[in-house]
Amino acid sequence: MKLLTKTNIYSSITTILLFAIGIFIVYKVIFAKLDKEADNKLLTTKAQIIKSLKDGISPKEFMSNIGQKIYVRKIAKQTIFDNKFIEYTGKKFEEEITGVDLNDSRVTQRELLFQTTIDYQAYEVTVCISLTEGKLIGEYISGVVLIFLVLSFVILFLLNRYISDFLWSPFNDTLSKIKSWNIKKQDKLNFRNTDIDEFHLLNDTLKDLTYQIQSDYHNLKEFTENVSHEAQTPLSIISTKIELLMQETNYSERQHKLLVQTYNATQRLYKLNEGLILLTRIENKQFVDTTTINLNQAIDEKLEILEDFIEAKQIKIEKIFNAQITKDVNPILLTILLNNLFINAIKYNLEENGTIKVIVEEDSFSVENTSFKDKIDKQFLFERFNKNSISGSLGLGLSLIKKIIDFYNWHVTYSCKDGAHKFKIYM
Amino acid sequence: MRILIIEDEKSLREDVVDYLTENGYKCDFATTIKSAMQKLNDIVYSCALVDVGLPDGSGIEVVEYIKKNNPEMGVIIVTAKNALEDKLEGLKIGADDYLTKPFHLSELSARIYSVLRRRNFGGKNTLSFDGLEIDTTEKKVIANGNQLQLTKKEYEILVYLASNPTHLITKEALADAIWGDKAEMATSFDFVYSQIKNLKKKLNEADLKNYIKVVYGMGYKFKD
Repeated sequence: MKLLTKTNIYSSITTILLFAIGIFIVYKVIFAKLDKEADNKLLTTKAQIIKSLKDGISPKEFMSNIGQKIYVRKIAKQTIFDNKFIEYTGKKFEEEITGVDLNDSRVTQRELLFQTTIDYQAYEVTVCISLTEGKLIGEYISGVVLIFLVLSFVILFLLNRYISDFLWSPFNDTLSKIKSWNIKKQDKLNFRNTDIDEFHLLNDTLKDLTYQIQSDYHNLKEFTENVSHEAQTPLSIISTKIELLMQETNYSERQHKLLVQTYNATQRLYKLNEGLILLTRIENKQFVDTTTINLNQAIDEKLEILEDFIEAKQIKIEKIFNAQITKDVNPILLTILLNNLFINAIKYNLEENGTIKVIVEEDSFSVENTSFKDKIDKQFLFERFNKNSISGSLGLGLSLIKKIIDFYNWHVTYSCKDGAHKFKIYM
Repeated sequence: MRILIIEDEKSLREDVVDYLTENGYKCDFATTIKSAMQKLNDIVYSCALVDVGLPDGSGIEVVEYIKKNNPEMGVIIVTAKNALEDKLEGLKIGADDYLTKPFHLSELSARIYSVLRRRNFGGKNTLSFDGLEIDTTEKKVIANGNQLQLTKKEYEILVYLASNPTHLITKEALADAIWGDKAEMATSFDFVYSQIKNLKKKLNEADLKNYIKVVYGMGYKFKD
């Protein structure tokens, strides 16, 4: 879920709750205020009634022009000494009189019931005041407030969305730049300027971090390269010295054996180092000179060079040239590529009755060979020193193939069907 | 035949001098361009081995000097780290051959032999041994008066061995020389072995039994 969606959900729930509570409070406050006002009016009327009763004036007469209904009853004895306020919703006054049901127009009124004793005569008085108008206004106000709140909620919601999009855009920018960042490339990350402190901090941190990673990576790479390069000279010296030692003749059998083993190990180490240097050189783009080469011809030449090895295993070669491919490539790289492809096809082929099938198409060529090996796990296919290598092999062949293909932005697929391994290269 | 070795790396230079001396060449050496020029002025050499990377400049300078003053002389340049440009430039200005460091000493000896042969030093194009004659112009091998029918590879191996008489040639050196050092091939030694076997068989049939000696686990020796 998007951060934005999540924040929106939470803020929406909170706003709705707050608004509901707000509306409720507004409603209550308005109505409390209305009641209070009505009560004050009623009390004023009460005072006037008492005064008119004392003066002997009929309160009805006196009050007739105020719009408040007054009921005065003479009672035997005063029993209530307090003011009693009663709110009452009932039929409209006219309805009461006419008996016609005017529904939907019920009346709310507030009554004050009090008893008083004037000149030894007890009276019970009820004063009524209509609240209908006030209630209506109150309801209107609440309604308006509600509408305003709902509207502001919608507007805030939309605004929030828009502002978030706008606010988070530097973050999204950073994210997309990080995504396309490549450790192998030297270019530094440049983020969009932002005045948001958090994003600024994030960008700075990322910049430092990637710089650190990049420089570590390059240091490590340089170190590996240097080790390979520097090891080459002493290795060749060792190798030459052993060759010279081998020129001596009078060795015991044990000395002889030790010497042979040392020499073999040195040769292996030497070739391995050479392979690693080659990989590095391809990676460092040291093979940039290109020549226009006919691939079909190059394949023919390569097969001719490897003739001895093919014959020794009695491998049948099937060549299907459906097209002629001409490419501008570095001759050394192409040689290494074909060499490794075909050497693998020979090396891992059956001891007898094997075949190698070479197909050249419009935009691709493939090398397919029978083999004693099972399908290679794709995960490790192009890894250096993978465990699939047979003994005596350096385990660099496939990773060299991959490096060269990557270098030219070609594409390689591997498939294994009925014991035949097939590498297809799209150029 | 006198050879000048221009190489500043002491260890390699000593090995080269020792090895070539054992192969019957007279060797001098120089470590800088300056001393090389001096030697070239004083003595006539048949061939020079020039390292391109010298402390006081590029060996290409020496090659140019040699080609100007003594065009008859064979020149082999040695380049480090597969420096293709050096190699091409060297060949362009007239070097006869090139070797990239590191190289098998036997390879060097074979190259020197080949250069000298092409330049016709010694006036003959044949390698002669007791009962065996290798004509390198015609690519023919005469054993006890009869021409041997050798395959291309067998012939190449024989010449390689013969240009390093009395030395042990490792199977690695042979494999590199014949199939190129890029052939990372676990089985290439087997081919060396089978080629040698065939070669020995053909020599045996011509009554030349002891020319190629197998040194177990190490390689082969061409015995005079």
